[in-house]
Amino acid sequence: MQSYFKGKWLPYLLLLPTYVILIAFLFYPAFETFRLSLYKVHPFGIRKIFAGFYNFRKLFGSADYLHSFWISFLFSLSVVVIGLFLSMMIAVLLNQKLKGQKIYRSLLIWPYALSPAIAGALFRFLFNPVNGYMLYLSEVILGVEPEWLTSGSLAIVIITMAATWKNLGYNIIFYLTGLQNVQRESLEAASIDGAGPVRRFWIITFPLLSPTTFFLLIMNLIYSYFSSFGLIDVLTEGGPANATNILIYQLYQDFFVNHKIGYAAAESFILFTLVVGLTLIQFRTTGRKVHYQ
Amino acid sequence: MRHRVFRFGLILLILFLPSVIFAAGGQEAPEITGTVSVEMWHAMSGERIQLIEGIVESFMKQNPNINVVVQYTGSYNDTLNKTTAAFRAGNPPHVFHLYEIGTLGMANSGMVTPIGDLTRWEEIDWDAFFSPVSNYYTISGKHYSMPFNSSTPLLYYNKSFFKQAGLPDKAPATFDAVIEVGKKLKGSGLDLKAPITWNLNCWYFEQFHCIMDAPLVNNDNGRTGTFPTKALFNQEAGQTIAEWWTGMERDGIFLDVGPGWSNHRAAFGSGEVAMVMSSTSDVNKLTNLLDEKGWEMGTGFMPRPVGAKGGVTIGGGTLWISSGHPDAELYAALKLVKYISEDDAQKKWHKGTGYFPVRKTAMKALEKEGWFRENPNFLVAFNQLLESPYTYNTAGALIGVFPELRKLVETGIQRVYAGEKTVKETLDEAGAKSDEAMKEWNELNQ
Repeated sequence: MQSYFKGKWLPYLLLLPTYVILIAFLFYPAFETFRLSLYKVHPFGIRKIFAGFYNFRKLFGSADYLHSFWISFLFSLSVVVIGLFLSMMIAVLLNQKLKGQKIYRSLLIWPYALSPAIAGALFRFLFNPVNGYMLYLSEVILGVEPEWLTSGSLAIVIITMAATWKNLGYNIIFYLTGLQNVQRESLEAASIDGAGPVRRFWIITFPLLSPTTFFLLIMNLIYSYFSSFGLIDVLTEGGPANATNILIYQLYQDFFVNHKIGYAAAESFILFTLVVGLTLIQFRTTGRKVHYQ
Repeated sequence: MRHRVFRFGLILLILFLPSVIFAAGGQEAPEITGTVSVEMWHAMSGERIQLIEGIVESFMKQNPNINVVVQYTGSYNDTLNKTTAAFRAGNPPHVFHLYEIGTLGMANSGMVTPIGDLTRWEEIDWDAFFSPVSNYYTISGKHYSMPFNSSTPLLYYNKSFFKQAGLPDKAPATFDAVIEVGKKLKGSGLDLKAPITWNLNCWYFEQFHCIMDAPLVNNDNGRTGTFPTKALFNQEAGQTIAEWWTGMERDGIFLDVGPGWSNHRAAFGSGEVAMVMSSTSDVNKLTNLLDEKGWEMGTGFMPRPVGAKGGVTIGGGTLWISSGHPDAELYAALKLVKYISEDDAQKKWHKGTGYFPVRKTAMKALEKEGWFRENPNFLVAFNQLLESPYTYNTAGALIGVFPELRKLVETGIQRVYAGEKTVKETLDEAGAKSDEAMKEWNELNQ
């Protein structure tokens, strides 16, 4: 069914718009970022001193930056695993014939429509160290007042929760679509063969969802590394004591607050490489196990 | 590249346009012909937006040939980032609003025209300003930006709670007294989360240094033209302050509410604490919060260690004039910032917000009106500032990497809260990192 172009130039011409956009908005900025990362740059850009890999050496020699690496990794892992697990479960529940199904669906997809800053503000109301609802609730039920946002170990849990919750809607939409493509005949056949609901899910639904899961894995990975800045800025500002200072927040600090442009460029390049690397690994490993219908 | 071409064009324009149109030179002010449009970006949110618009409105009434487009552009830091971006695109606002800690960075940014370079066109009576205010924005004798909204920290206390606890009706004046009062409040049966709080912000740490007449950094606190190279906040004064602060947190006298400017106000307003330290610009807000609950509010100076000889310095913001505009526009911008610093505007601003008027003359006028008899808490805020002696230490530090240094100190304090580090260790660590940052900044700003 494949068709071929006769002329030599037409395909290139048709690809041109895409490449123009990619070059202007992706390749050129990425290249510029890398170039800048090799300089010490004046806070307002009036001076540049070539410094080779100075910025990179400094960053990897800094205990704070390495800590940030580690925190980001744990954060990302939790957001991806918990997020995908929960949303798959919810999507399966939502895929049943229920009364008021549309209402449930809309409500569950809702969080995705919020901007990270708004989601952060909501969690701040809940976990505020002065008069948050959760503070009150835990005092009434458990008789303790945990330092939700002002102790490091709890703060990272709250941030993870918020980030997972925020992306749940997105995942649910894709899983629902995926579930609706699972052929009813296969499920019925398995049912007749005597397979229970759990077994049916594992041997039929789960493998058939694997393309969706793989896609979401990559999207959530990118989300967790790049998009949680707003949440953190509103909730903890990277604190307490750097406990929630993930890479993207450090990058924001260095560029927009400290105006250390060279460092920020290097961090940006590192983050970019890291996520591209992780994505490639996913394609090489998990990607091979994906079953496309 | 683009902006270099643009800049070259601008330079040509600046060189030739005035000579053609205005035929003016030397000390004479450029003529404002037709209507000159000036853009102003500021960082004051909420009801303050309208207040500023009102002030600008009356300026335009006085100067019908100057049209001011005024815009709220987010926090100080947001405003700075937007201005920087606009500058790179060749289109910066003529006047922009920035925090005090950006002073040295701005002076070396290549983006601004020092006010001192424009006063050849129109004199500004610097003697009418409160000296701590005008001194802060003066580097080696040159005025860089126009004081606009100035404030200091102030200790607020809940009079009703103090009465219930059987305490005398005055704010504790020393570090030890705060602890003592705190212990009494804790044992008084009042339902408090803790007796005192303030938000996690390095500003207080800096102000305590001023109060103890101790430098934050070397080279005369960066005040005499040589960039600072070494942090001194890890010395005796800094340790005293941080020990007191984090010790109270450890003993449950101080409530950790995290960073930001809302939690500590809320804690005071809802009666979770009996004392709070915050900006003088919160006088109105906090009075109203306590009023709602039927409580009375009192104020006092920032507490100090026994024997400390210094005084507070100002915080807040100033108005900067950017560079790269034709003379007529710069002149219009100068007129605008001058108007905003004068008595009428400052009185309006003070009454609406609680920020100090920046000029002595404005304060005298307010006194005459009987404003302070009705609002004694404002007087406390004033006296605290006026009783400050002038030294390089009380003038406040000038540091290029101030925002970064602040974050380092704040993170350090949290490390002590968490029990990860001792005060000495944490301050030494923050100091070493600040030194490193200053070294890099100095290299780029030589």
